[in-house]
Amino acid sequence: MDSSKVPRLIVVTGKGGVGKTSLALAITKHLHESGVKVLYNSFDQITNEKLCDQMEIPYWEMSTGKSAETYIAKKLGSEMVAGWIMKTPFFKSLFNMIPGLGMMILLGHIIEKLQNDPDLHIVMDSPSSGHAITMFESSHNFKEMFGKGMIVDDINRMHQFIYNEKRLRTIVVTLPTLMAVNEGIDLKKSLNDLEISNVSLIVNDAIHLSDELNNQDEELPSFLAKKVEMEKEVVSEFEGKFAKILPHLSTSNEVENIKGLTKHLEGLW
Amino acid sequence: MVINPKPIEIFCGTGGVGKTTLATSRALELANLNKKVLLITIDPAKRLKQILGLENTEAGEVQPISSTIFPGYEQKSFTFDALLMSPRATLRRMKWEAGTEREFENPIIDILARPNGGMNEIMAIIEVQHHLSKGNYDTIVLDTPPGKHFIDFLQASLRIKQFFDKSFIEIFKFLGKKFQRSSEKEGTGFLAMIVSSGVKKLLKYLEKVTGEEFVETFVDAVVAIYKNREAFLEALKFQDRLRQIENSNWFLVTSVEQHKIDEANTLHNHAVEFMHGDSYLCINKCLRSHLEGWNPTNSHYLHVRNSMLDRENKIKEFASRNFEKVIDFPEVLGTSPAQHVSELAEAWKMS
Repeated sequence: MDSSKVPRLIVVTGKGGVGKTSLALAITKHLHESGVKVLYNSFDQITNEKLCDQMEIPYWEMSTGKSAETYIAKKLGSEMVAGWIMKTPFFKSLFNMIPGLGMMILLGHIIEKLQNDPDLHIVMDSPSSGHAITMFESSHNFKEMFGKGMIVDDINRMHQFIYNEKRLRTIVVTLPTLMAVNEGIDLKKSLNDLEISNVSLIVNDAIHLSDELNNQDEELPSFLAKKVEMEKEVVSEFEGKFAKILPHLSTSNEVENIKGLTKHLEGLW
Repeated sequence: MVINPKPIEIFCGTGGVGKTTLATSRALELANLNKKVLLITIDPAKRLKQILGLENTEAGEVQPISSTIFPGYEQKSFTFDALLMSPRATLRRMKWEAGTEREFENPIIDILARPNGGMNEIMAIIEVQHHLSKGNYDTIVLDTPPGKHFIDFLQASLRIKQFFDKSFIEIFKFLGKKFQRSSEKEGTGFLAMIVSSGVKKLLKYLEKVTGEEFVETFVDAVVAIYKNREAFLEALKFQDRLRQIENSNWFLVTSVEQHKIDEANTLHNHAVEFMHGDSYLCINKCLRSHLEGWNPTNSHYLHVRNSMLDRENKIKEFASRNFEKVIDFPEVLGTSPAQHVSELAEAWKMS
């Protein structure tokens, strides 16, 4: 695969329960197997390291707390002072009260890692809808808050990286129901409002595309027939809006599911 | 199983499991039983917002919802109240109540109180406690933020407590009694004092990174929050009530879809320290009744059926291990959110 065509940062978001984590892991695995230098990052959630190791998915674990400490250490030129500041109850509770601050610093950290290694790509398993917006909005909010100074310079550098269509690709994962697709489209609009333009919708878990349920002689039971019918209506109503529609995979095993998904990711870039 | 209504009914879950719809159906069902109900929701789907008529009203205002918008309830005429959380509206009320409009004219506080500014969880518990203490409702049905942010929500009061206990003690240790005396005289000169004190060292580091102007605004913001500490600390009572069995019902919502068991498990492990015995696991989107009546001869179909049943069984197994009380909700095959709410309200009657 020509890795220059692959965006440097791939953010996978969408509302909860649509299969973000599985898809983010599948994308990482797919890119890794295609010879692209890539890391999975769970963005302040706990990485399932056992699963990653088992499936040979390269990952980079970094929490907001650790990230903030590293950042402050760099700014003040002392790891000791940074450790002390982060341990003071005042700063500790400040970061607790204002989660957007931690999110912004972590996003900045990820971008810095990408800037330091021009071959690297990162797949970010982003927080769900509303919090993804908080994450992207934070830098604007804090820029306004700080006005000028070192942090604002850093934010500007961050924006320069993000607001480049070739570098950042945001994937909104959704399900093939009317409500879920509408929510996905709303999220895409909100991201566009933040001037994040390279956003694609991916529909997950489509029963009507399942290999096993298609082209069989036997009739589908009525509840599945109804589901299929509703899915097809949604897909035709929003025709052309989806970058991919992924089939329902008949497995309750996470490893099998991720493996199955990697087979359907050709042509995304 | 009879589920007695309590003053607080809290719905939490992993997101995308139909939590908001289920909470709405509970509100509908309780209102149908002549209870005075307030539904507080953090961020409902747009379609549900349209159905509830919350779309064109300003977030943060209590809005009566008529039963007539729900299929099957057209002939009845009762209402319940709904409130879409808005950090800004909560803040506005706080300033007004504490007479601190002037102090809250602060750009930092203003930015943080934006809808995605990041103070949502803390503002939400302040708002809930406000309605609880007014006592206008028999039941407040509370739809919480999804997943990990639900834990943030549960920990919000702890965070508030830490903020006022520890960080302020730290600051006032430096400032001593001087601050208290001068703050009684309208708080003028607080900044000069804070800079002339030991806190200076801490703020100097901040200044180096952020510039002087920010530090001034920041200190002002801290003062404004401190002056409203009563409202913040009042919210701690909410946490206490959540722990009392006579005051709250817990509904942990999960769904059969996708890979929800691990998440539900993690969430349960985190939430268990906040919960008490009256907690229910709601399993949404159950296909069991459909699946059990499906006996395909085709081996592919059989495989699909078995993998779907396997998912449900794994959830069931998790459920019986961790919860005494489990309620099943069927998958609703329909496109209208109002239809979903009505059908789920039926399921409450049967449980």
